[in-house]
Amino acid sequence: MIIVGAICVAAAVVLYVLQPVLTGEEASLHREHDEPTEAEARKRNALLALRDVEYDHATGKLDEDDYRSLRDELTVEALEALQSMSADAARAGSAGESDGAAGAGGAGTAPVASDAVLEREIAAFRAALRVQEAGGGACPACDKPNGPASRFCAHCGVALATSEPDGPRADGAGSPGA
Amino acid sequence: MPILGEFALWIALPISIWGLVLAFLGGRRGRGDLVLSGERSVYAVFFLVALASLGIIVAFLGDHFEYWYVANYSNRELDTFFKISGLWAGQRGSLVFWALFLSFFSALTVFQNRRKNREFMPYVVGVLLSVSAFFLIICLFISNPFERLAFVPADGRGLNPQLQNYWMTIHPPTLYAGFTAFTVPFAFAMAALLNGRLDSRWIEVTRRWILVSWFFLANGIVFGMRWAYEELGWGGYWFWDPVENASLLPWLAATAFLHSIMIQENRGMLKVWNMSLVILTFVLTIFATFLTRSGLIESVHTFAQNTTIAFVFLGFMGFLIVVSGALVIWRLPRLKSENQFESFVSRESAFLLNNLILLGALFAVMWGTLFPLITEGLTGSKVAVGPPFFNQVNVPIGLVLLALMGIGPVIAWRRASSRNLKRNFVRPLAVGGVVVGVLLLWGMRQPMAILTFGLSAFVMAVIVIEFWKGTAARARIEGEGAAAAFLHLVARNRRRWGGYIVHAGVVLIFTGFAGSEFDAEVRASLVPGESITIASPLGHDYTLTYEGISSARVQNMQQWIALMSIDRNGRDIGTITTERRQYITTQQPVTEVGIRSTPVEDLYVILAAVDDMAGVVANDPGSQRATFQVLVNPLVAWIWYGAFILSLGTIIALWPARRGAGAVVPGAAQEAGRKEPDPADPQPVGAG
Repeated sequence: MIIVGAICVAAAVVLYVLQPVLTGEEASLHREHDEPTEAEARKRNALLALRDVEYDHATGKLDEDDYRSLRDELTVEALEALQSMSADAARAGSAGESDGAAGAGGAGTAPVASDAVLEREIAAFRAALRVQEAGGGACPACDKPNGPASRFCAHCGVALATSEPDGPRADGAGSPGA
Repeated sequence: MPILGEFALWIALPISIWGLVLAFLGGRRGRGDLVLSGERSVYAVFFLVALASLGIIVAFLGDHFEYWYVANYSNRELDTFFKISGLWAGQRGSLVFWALFLSFFSALTVFQNRRKNREFMPYVVGVLLSVSAFFLIICLFISNPFERLAFVPADGRGLNPQLQNYWMTIHPPTLYAGFTAFTVPFAFAMAALLNGRLDSRWIEVTRRWILVSWFFLANGIVFGMRWAYEELGWGGYWFWDPVENASLLPWLAATAFLHSIMIQENRGMLKVWNMSLVILTFVLTIFATFLTRSGLIESVHTFAQNTTIAFVFLGFMGFLIVVSGALVIWRLPRLKSENQFESFVSRESAFLLNNLILLGALFAVMWGTLFPLITEGLTGSKVAVGPPFFNQVNVPIGLVLLALMGIGPVIAWRRASSRNLKRNFVRPLAVGGVVVGVLLLWGMRQPMAILTFGLSAFVMAVIVIEFWKGTAARARIEGEGAAAAFLHLVARNRRRWGGYIVHAGVVLIFTGFAGSEFDAEVRASLVPGESITIASPLGHDYTLTYEGISSARVQNMQQWIALMSIDRNGRDIGTITTERRQYITTQQPVTEVGIRSTPVEDLYVILAAVDDMAGVVANDPGSQRATFQVLVNPLVAWIWYGAFILSLGTIIALWPARRGAGAVVPGAAQEAGRKEPDPADPQPVGAG
């Protein structure tokens, strides 16, 4: 009885393991569409590093000069990553066209769309950071942080825009400590 | 059932070899059918090893003494609970248990990644099954738990009495979980080297696995300390025993790795270093198993000497180092850093220093552990290295690490100005200074203890200030109350704040270690009615009066139980019992200590000897003289509290963020449905 049971177990296991080879059933070997590419991962890391710089500045770990230079450096890094993503998208568009998968205008519109995306992402991200900083907006004139409800800059007196982008508030991540 | 288990183990090996060959082949040739077959092999191996483990447990529960393993680690009178733990009580079963954990984690990895990280999976499956195959080969050909005896003994030899302790039933599984879980990050690292995707993706994917492994390793070590403290009965919890050290080595490497991956994720640096650390940590998990099972180094924990296993493990470790080292060298041109260190005063520099110090501790511990083997090889005689060497080397290293735990969070990434440093360090340093001053005024003169308490206060102050700043900012911005702001702060960035909580736990553990500087001990031979007095370092006295001793036969052992009443500065505070046991089957004497634990100190009583054991059994009133060893161990409880907080912090850091809670930047990525980084979540792993 035990021998029969053992043989049944062995047969079931072998059949289960061999079935893909026998029937040609396949596992995917490619990156799924919602997984980040290397360029996207670089962008993500640059954005995260920007957040750290903002947090370090807000909690007094970074001088104003260091903060500004680091922020500029990281913005450049994020831009470079975004450009790589655009290049990837353009390549993907070209490949799609050559495969006949994309429409006739696909390759031609990709770079334009990528540039627009790049500018929109950076602008949105910088706006989000300004709002995140101390919970309010950075003054466009002197770049100093202000409170969330400030209508005028506490440092130079310039009138501040009060509208906020959707991103940061929507996920409740306004705190520099967060 | 045991026969079915044995059969399953024999099928598991060819299935794992089939799977690993097909997975590598499928990855190389881009054949999804071969890879799918490989992945199914992972599930199949888990099922078969689980069946084999069940077979061993059934053999124990059914007293199948025809199996060598059951006959040597169980007997008819053994408690059911310990019969189940027989699966990992001896070398043969523990290797199957190891394979069970590994195959479970492998199956979990394949299941988690069935629709993602597909470019890594062929090689991940190949590596995971290679390690499984190695352990299955050992289980089948060198250390088979299903080996039969030529005859069936009437009863077994019984379980080692020192293993009949609840801490011992959970200590090995926890450690094994830590060791085997680290195979997953190693497999992804190898897959990254093989498929050429060498950015930080493999780290992101395995981040939680690294933390899970670290969590189990840390808890496994602490459970082992607790077992040693309660069961070995020498008054301490860590003896720098070779097998204790073997579990510490991968933990040290994993701790270094946990910190250095943050530099790669944040700065794109230290890629070769991180690859080397993941290889080192994994090899050290195998080394720990080798050290315990080879029996080459004498220890209370080791299994019997088995030179065949020793050579096979050495060969496997050599293979791992050569192959993974060759892969790193092959990919060196693509593992270049994307950035440079900008300043010595930066968080990445602090992390790098932390790494170097952790590795310094690692190599010091390894040197001390292997020294007896080295001297035996060179001179023919073993020269043991004792706790004084390890303490002399590791206490200063530990203190520097403690200081870095306070410095790291306060320094900014990339570069920090001296003005900011001064401003951020003033308050924590003041707190540390005040603690040192108070201790000196109180009369404390032990420099290492004073330094530890001062640094602990400094680090705690840093952590509290970080929490306070974050909470205050959140409360101000969001208009929340302090409690809500605190909870949301932690919830929004569990990794950062979980990491700080882990640091707080480590501080408590270090404080507990420092308490050992003040241990007090007395020893006396007493008859009922006589007393022994011990002075606590906290200024009070304990007087223990020997009330009497009784004897009882319980299951498979004879017990001698001494009762003592305790008064503290003349006030009665209760009683304590301490035992000696003699297991009938093994004739092995065991001490069961009496511990009265408070948050500030433990009163620890050992029944060192009973002069006339037979007289006590015969209930002869004139033969009750016994020798007692009484210790006062300050702050031991802080180690257990610290371990609890450390675990809590790790669980917080591990806890997954809410799905969809991470949107930050409106843009194309979100339009395409991708999940963007959470701005409240800048720290990938551990504390920043």
